[in-house]
Amino acid sequence: MSKSGPGKVVFTQDQIMERLKEVAAEINRDYEGQDLIIVSVLKGAIYFVADLTRHLTMPLKIDFLSTRVPSEASKKNGGGIQFVKDLDYDLQGQQVLLVEDVIGTGLTLGLVRQHLEAAQPASLKICTLLDNPAGRLLPIQIDYCCFTMPDLYLVGYGLDHEEEYRNLPFIVEFRRG
Amino acid sequence: MLITVSRQTGSMGEEITHQLARNMNIRLLTRDMAMSNVFPDVASRHEMHMLAESPAFFLAKSSEGLTFAEHLEIRLKAQVEQGPVIIFGMGAQIVFADHPNALHVRITASPQVRIQRIIEKRGLELRDAERFMTLSDRKHKRYISTIYSKDWSDPFLYNVILNTDNLGIDEAAQFIQCMAEHRQSSALPAEVPAAAEEQGQQVIFKHPSEEEFARILDMHGLDWEYEPRTFPIQWDAEGNVTQAFSPDFYLPKFDTYIELTTMDQRYVAQKKKKVQALRKLYPGTNVNIVFKRDFNTLVKRFGLMKEAESNE
Repeated sequence: MSKSGPGKVVFTQDQIMERLKEVAAEINRDYEGQDLIIVSVLKGAIYFVADLTRHLTMPLKIDFLSTRVPSEASKKNGGGIQFVKDLDYDLQGQQVLLVEDVIGTGLTLGLVRQHLEAAQPASLKICTLLDNPAGRLLPIQIDYCCFTMPDLYLVGYGLDHEEEYRNLPFIVEFRRG
Repeated sequence: MLITVSRQTGSMGEEITHQLARNMNIRLLTRDMAMSNVFPDVASRHEMHMLAESPAFFLAKSSEGLTFAEHLEIRLKAQVEQGPVIIFGMGAQIVFADHPNALHVRITASPQVRIQRIIEKRGLELRDAERFMTLSDRKHKRYISTIYSKDWSDPFLYNVILNTDNLGIDEAAQFIQCMAEHRQSSALPAEVPAAAEEQGQQVIFKHPSEEEFARILDMHGLDWEYEPRTFPIQWDAEGNVTQAFSPDFYLPKFDTYIELTTMDQRYVAQKKKKVQALRKLYPGTNVNIVFKRDFNTLVKRFGLMKEAESNE
């Protein structure tokens, strides 16, 4: 039986930074001369947002959302995923870029996108560190993607296993034993 | 006067209803009459076939813009306005749930008695009779749940439920006639308990995993419909549909169908083929499969259904 814990490196720090600069260049080109609001969902994308925005050249603001799975009692009453931290900025009429760590089924993204669209931004694009299009259930267009997700459980660079390993500067496979 | 009759196969419901119509000398509307008198005006030959095969197709829109279920309802209501009538099946107990003078009757019997009657009436072996009864019950239940999202066996849909284990055809017919005439003379307003109404609005899922997935969609604030459409995917040489596919969920805001394959992995290849056929025959239709592993991951993440976690 293999031991549980971080395994082989899947994306090195250099690979992440190199690809991140390429994606940032695309975003700089697309939003040239425009103000931008970056919205991200805590906590997986914190390092990605921090590094990405340092390579963006347009005037920008950063905002965060935080969601919470409902309690058992709330679930029984049909309660849904709650936004425990909502937006600080008014998105109406603004150019908005949603930055995610991982996009898989797209269900959570669907929830967040509906929430952001309700604020009536002028535009809403999506940028992700890792994309798993093979697992997608909802047809949501991803505008900027750094890497395609391998069929592995990953930690590091913001991704966690039970809240650990987020601070690794690279992305590694996590063996669950 | 309006009497609606719903029956279990083998309950003698059909015989009792015909006897009732003869005794009272009033019109009797049956599904066969609807198929021959209502739908030929609004449905093509292919659509007629689909209506005979698939309850979900009643929710498809005809070329006139109404669903076939709506066409049927309009014609049934027109018939009711013309005078006393008995409606046999067709979800009439739901269509006319609020009708002030309606008597909604359900005719049942115990499984043992029903099977024995099926054996005698159809000359079947015991095993085949059991199978016949199960399939018939399932079809009746599915028709009501698909079109009206109601549970066919919900006792609150009926004013009276007759168990014919120890009742004869004449006796049962006379009992219903007596009740109908008494109801007509007293003209009591129909009362539908609010709780029952709410209960009836619940979707009847075929498998617990579908219900769990619906909860996951609800938690994400994503609107969904359960098996709203059946796609024909295979036809025989004469153009009759030989295989159809009803994806489990439709997400209208994302114009996407979702099919779960969490129950029996032996069917995964079969479902993949169906999805491929659907995509090929209906280009532009978004349909995705949730595989067992992905389903279990979702369920675990959102803390639902403990048995799914243990399957991982």
